[in-house]
Amino acid sequence: MKKGMRLISIGLAACMLAGTAAACARKGTSSSASASTAPTSSASAAKDTITALLPPISTQFPQETAQYVKDFETQYPNLTLKVEPVSWDDETQKLDVQVNAGTPPDISFIASTDIPKYVSTGLLMDVSSFATSDMISDFDQTQLQYMKNGNGLYGFPAYMDMWALGGNKAMLEKAGIDWQSIQKNGWTWDQFRQDVLKGTVKSGGGVSRYGMVFACSGVTATDFLAMLVNEAGMPSPFTTDLKYAYTSKNFLTVLNGMKDLISDGGIPNNMDSVDAGARWNMFLTGKTMITGKGLATFEGSAKKNDAKLAAKDSTAVKDSIPVDYIILPMPTFGSFKQQATGEVDGYVVFRGKAKPSDEHMKNVVKAAYAFSSGKVAAQTNSELYVANITSSGREAAKSITVSADPSNAAEEARLVSEAAPARPDISSDLGDKATKIRDQVMVPKFQALLAGEITPQQMYDAVKAAAVAAFGQDGVVTD
Amino acid sequence: MPEYRSAVPGAVKKRRARYRGDALWGFAFIGIALLIFFLFTIYPVVYDLIISFQHFKPLGSTWVGFQNYIGLFHDAVFGQSLLNTVIYTVFSVPVVIFLSFMIAVLVFPLKKWLQTVFKAVYYLPAVASGVSLSVVWLWIFQPMSGGLLNRIIRLLGIPNQNWLGSSKTAMFSLLLMAWLSSEGTNVIIYIAALLGIPASLFESAELDGASFFNKLRYIILPLLKPTTLFLFVTGIIASFQVFMNAYLMTGGGPNNATTMVGLLIFYNAFKYFDFGTAAAQSLVLAVLIGIVSIFQFKILGEDVEY
Repeated sequence: MKKGMRLISIGLAACMLAGTAAACARKGTSSSASASTAPTSSASAAKDTITALLPPISTQFPQETAQYVKDFETQYPNLTLKVEPVSWDDETQKLDVQVNAGTPPDISFIASTDIPKYVSTGLLMDVSSFATSDMISDFDQTQLQYMKNGNGLYGFPAYMDMWALGGNKAMLEKAGIDWQSIQKNGWTWDQFRQDVLKGTVKSGGGVSRYGMVFACSGVTATDFLAMLVNEAGMPSPFTTDLKYAYTSKNFLTVLNGMKDLISDGGIPNNMDSVDAGARWNMFLTGKTMITGKGLATFEGSAKKNDAKLAAKDSTAVKDSIPVDYIILPMPTFGSFKQQATGEVDGYVVFRGKAKPSDEHMKNVVKAAYAFSSGKVAAQTNSELYVANITSSGREAAKSITVSADPSNAAEEARLVSEAAPARPDISSDLGDKATKIRDQVMVPKFQALLAGEITPQQMYDAVKAAAVAAFGQDGVVTD
Repeated sequence: MPEYRSAVPGAVKKRRARYRGDALWGFAFIGIALLIFFLFTIYPVVYDLIISFQHFKPLGSTWVGFQNYIGLFHDAVFGQSLLNTVIYTVFSVPVVIFLSFMIAVLVFPLKKWLQTVFKAVYYLPAVASGVSLSVVWLWIFQPMSGGLLNRIIRLLGIPNQNWLGSSKTAMFSLLLMAWLSSEGTNVIIYIAALLGIPASLFESAELDGASFFNKLRYIILPLLKPTTLFLFVTGIIASFQVFMNAYLMTGGGPNNATTMVGLLIFYNAFKYFDFGTAAAQSLVLAVLIGIVSIFQFKILGEDVEY
């Protein structure tokens, strides 16, 4: 009995160790395993397995994925497509761990701004030699550029989602703000400040409704700052001659403008603590006239809540009011022309530590293309209220009814046409340095500026000092 | 010679006995523990040391010598994070230990079932998920009028505060969270230590007419000194490694006012893929923790008897 117990103990411990070893082992990564099963010859009909780590790109995407996979496997009977669903919150962390362990999935869905980060690992694959010319020509070239870094094309874009502001139509009209003119002609920072004040309602010594609330808690502050600097002639951290741009006096102009907006009292003085959920809640409950960042899909979210309110559904947002969501552009500084901020997200292709065969890569590219074009793209983009950026997607979308407000659809299209250009010429090394300055200096200082703890000049000086330290005096803009 | 001959078989027999029966099982169990220790402690530390001299890449790292360490001396954020970590440790650990001690002393004289109730209540935050706790604290610190803390201070005529969003109050907010939710384990340990004090000491003190404070000063405090030293050392080690509170509550902001070393290591490794710098920072932190621990044993442990 005693011996038996000891044996069981040792056995259990051995099982635990074996399990750990198995988990730590370099299991065939999706790419390496599938690469090993993939043929090295030109026998294109050989069986192959493709793995994908995908977040819920649209609300319906997780439910629709099984059908997309079925359609793909019907089109390519020799291929097996395994999709691992993952939440937005977990995706980056999960993907990053897999990438650094050298075992990423074949395909994942990321923001094009993250491409330099993964390029520097050496595991992101240039698909240009595996994609057919038909695939490449299907995409709008402006958006395709976003998936490039240097000379490499690292995947296919799914959509370009424009970052804008969202307005409450009734409140805008009541405040006497001509939102249709703003959609058509844009607005200047000074006009924006006046309109924000018009929409601010003060009562009992406090503010019962703000003119604007932008989510600036944590990383969301990055979005606001990016949108502001875009409209002040700095659509990228680097100028076309690759000098760091935010040392320009234009950056100080933006910060001064932000300080003025805070002083006006039309935005909360603790906006650095407002997270994305809180600002949307404030918008739906009528505590703000304008909110940001606003995405096209928010129109759908507002409509859903309106429908719930009409049906007296208890799952409607507490204390919410019916809202007509209006897309508004970001205001521009001085005489700078609109350069809207657009986020291009897309399907990128990875390799594992073991080099995959060319045949496997071709198969992976087929799957990435299937997700980013045609029926799949049309369905997903219609759910996101964003424009299709492939010819095949536009064709497939003809049979899909989208309930977007015509003025919003037109504004979205105008913003797409005025989007800041892609910058594939920025190397991953420069991009990494700029990201570190953004995260460790710009965003923390911006939050301090919003909290009224530092002046615009102090923030500008801190960013300039960090930039000179990173890029040298000759590597930054001096004006 | 005969003695020699007879001695050798005896020694061999003894050695054989060491590898038989219970002894053999002992080695087997120790072997597993050692294997786990090497696999999950020694190997990661050695690998971490190697990475700290490299520019890490999944497909092949490059050796950069001491570059990652030299970079730390020029990194203002690392300096700030070290300072923040020290401030957090200095203000959190002694207060938490003092509160734990007070709670344990107050709970100790109670009936056993009541002791159990209080132990369970104070231990609850330790059982609850850190994420859940953070969500509750985020609500407490909400900067708008709905936040619990703002509601309380409004009763005192103080306007709403941006608790986590202002660099003046962000660190205090994290400390408040630590002060009010970290006592669980310490209380259990203190109560266990109090139960280990012979009742005869209290009885004789009472016969001598000792007051509560006299018993506290002359019996409880000296006899709990080894426990206090243990809690200080483990508390400071844990506090130097603090990560979750800052990550979930403030993300290190505002203006890096709550960026702790642990958080910076995480960001460098998993946000910027700069594993070399992260490894160097983690080893510097480990050395600092080692120095502080030795210092604590030297200063606080001088007259501790186990």
